[in-house]
Amino acid sequence: MITTAIPVKYIFKRLIIFVSVFFGALTLNFVLPRLMPGNPAEVIYQDLIKASGGTINTAYLHQLEAEYGISTGKPIYVQYLIYLNDLFHGNLGVSISFYPEPVSAILIQALPWTLFLVISAVTISFFIGNRLGRYAGINRNTGKDLAIDLFSMFMAAFPAFVLAFILLDIFSVYGKVFPIGGAYSSSITMGFNLPFIFSTAYHAVLPVATIILTSLGGWVLGMRNNIIPNVNSDYISFSRNLGMKDYQIKSIAYRNALLPNLTGFSMSIGLSVSGVIIEESIFSYPGVGMYMITAINNLDYPLLQGIFLMVIIAVLVGNLIVDILLGFLDPRIKQEGE
Amino acid sequence: MGLKGSKSIGILLKIFKPIGMLLQNNKSKAGFMLLLSIVVFAIVGIFYTPFPPNAYLFKNSLPPSYSHLLGTTGYGQDVFSQLIGGAAPTLMIGFSVGILGTLISVFVGVLSGFASKAVNEVINAIVNVFLVIPGVLLIMLFGAYFLGIHQNLGYFPTILILVVTGWAFGARTFRSVTLSVAKRDYILSSILIGEKRLSIIFRQIIKSIMPVIVSNFFFTAMYGTMGLTFVEYLGVGNLQQVNWGTMLYWAINNEAYLVGEWWWILPPAILISVLMFAFILLNFGMDEIANPALRVFKVKKEKVKS
Repeated sequence: MITTAIPVKYIFKRLIIFVSVFFGALTLNFVLPRLMPGNPAEVIYQDLIKASGGTINTAYLHQLEAEYGISTGKPIYVQYLIYLNDLFHGNLGVSISFYPEPVSAILIQALPWTLFLVISAVTISFFIGNRLGRYAGINRNTGKDLAIDLFSMFMAAFPAFVLAFILLDIFSVYGKVFPIGGAYSSSITMGFNLPFIFSTAYHAVLPVATIILTSLGGWVLGMRNNIIPNVNSDYISFSRNLGMKDYQIKSIAYRNALLPNLTGFSMSIGLSVSGVIIEESIFSYPGVGMYMITAINNLDYPLLQGIFLMVIIAVLVGNLIVDILLGFLDPRIKQEGE
Repeated sequence: MGLKGSKSIGILLKIFKPIGMLLQNNKSKAGFMLLLSIVVFAIVGIFYTPFPPNAYLFKNSLPPSYSHLLGTTGYGQDVFSQLIGGAAPTLMIGFSVGILGTLISVFVGVLSGFASKAVNEVINAIVNVFLVIPGVLLIMLFGAYFLGIHQNLGYFPTILILVVTGWAFGARTFRSVTLSVAKRDYILSSILIGEKRLSIIFRQIIKSIMPVIVSNFFFTAMYGTMGLTFVEYLGVGNLQQVNWGTMLYWAINNEAYLVGEWWWILPPAILISVLMFAFILLNFGMDEIANPALRVFKVKKEKVKS
């Protein structure tokens, strides 16, 4: 009994969550700098005074404060409204470490590369991980199962950036199989042509492989633990008695185990984004992660806040898409939602 | 007094029964042994290190030898002393994040399991905010501000950041577990008898979800250890202190991997992964204990075969 109706109530609920999380993140981004003793503008101002020996105009402090949107004179709700207004006009301030580049210009260059890495890593690791988990769960309590479990647990336990270093060392520094850095070869012009696409894929192999290896574990173990009760359940023995073939039974159990595993997608997106951001500076990949390290080292708060917001918006949109797809795939949600 | 004392010990034993259960499962047993050996290593490190871990006493970048079991760093510190001296802070952070994060998530999860629908929705929204935001972004944001304060607060900021980013997953688990337990008939009968809500929560709910709590503790402790390496790698932690995270940071920042100084980068990397592996094994084994569908019944298996 397949109904094609759209689960309106469910989608509506997801949209509410989307908006609430979005405003939660916006507010956190607004509140945090104001909670700290001495706002960031003052901190940087004090640093500059220390560095230069005390010859900086106080007007600079006010300029800094204006750039952060911190106006100590105005009441807090006015500041919040100014902050929101700036944001919706795409005004994220001016970067300190890449002065006078506006933060939004940096992000427009960097974000697509990060998204490209995250999307390819999440999808590939989803497919490989679930297949491995299915294999382990069906061959439960055998040597194969144990080997797969231990491997995925150990990979999940391995710090992603150390793995990145090891892979870089083996394949780029000594092996010279893959490039040491960059997103595409500098001799190729950017555009929609075959050499560029090949070059991009070639440069993405190591970063994507690192994330796949470290994020595989969640899918493998989740799938294994979901498929075991399914394989042992009554409907499977019933289908077996009906004379269904072995591979048919396996694929039914797999599909039923896949749905609950899909809810792990939002966690997986978050973890992969964390992993990608951490490793980008190692592979000198021109995504937001590389700028983030620079921003932290220079206490470049406008850039940090811009990265924070943009990545969260991307993650939220990704989650929303997955959730809505799930609403169409999962009959239980459909029933609730109609 | 004595009688009362023995009674409370009995209750404690009952509550912590799941820890004894850890040894029933092969995976968690292996994890327990690994964790125990790291704990012993750390305790030794508190009282004895061959050389002061943070002193620049020797030649730079010496390879491993009898006098320096794991060589020296690019700054002339003894790597083995750093490794053994840094074990205790690393474990301390993992355990503190595990304990604090689990306490918060049990509180929030059980509360939302019993709260009214409106409160429940609000809690759910907050949990979702923290679940969806990639942890590394919050680490970066909080860390940068703590860095901006320019005050030596020891490990406090690190632990705070990791607890803030690490509690939400457990809260979601506890919420759904509490909801399913709270619907059972025996809870209803306790409510009808007139048992106080607080007593029901502690005497029945917490007790019955204890295996899940223990499993979640190990998961959060693993997150804490991994998070420590993130915090230190990003440079927003306290880089003057010796722990396995800062060891990795300095080794990587001096490009030890490019010049072939493997003895500087590999030992902390391996020990951190072993520690996290131990936590994952414990978490996974505890899941198998808590979830009867995954339990292995050896007797049954033999019957089927014969």
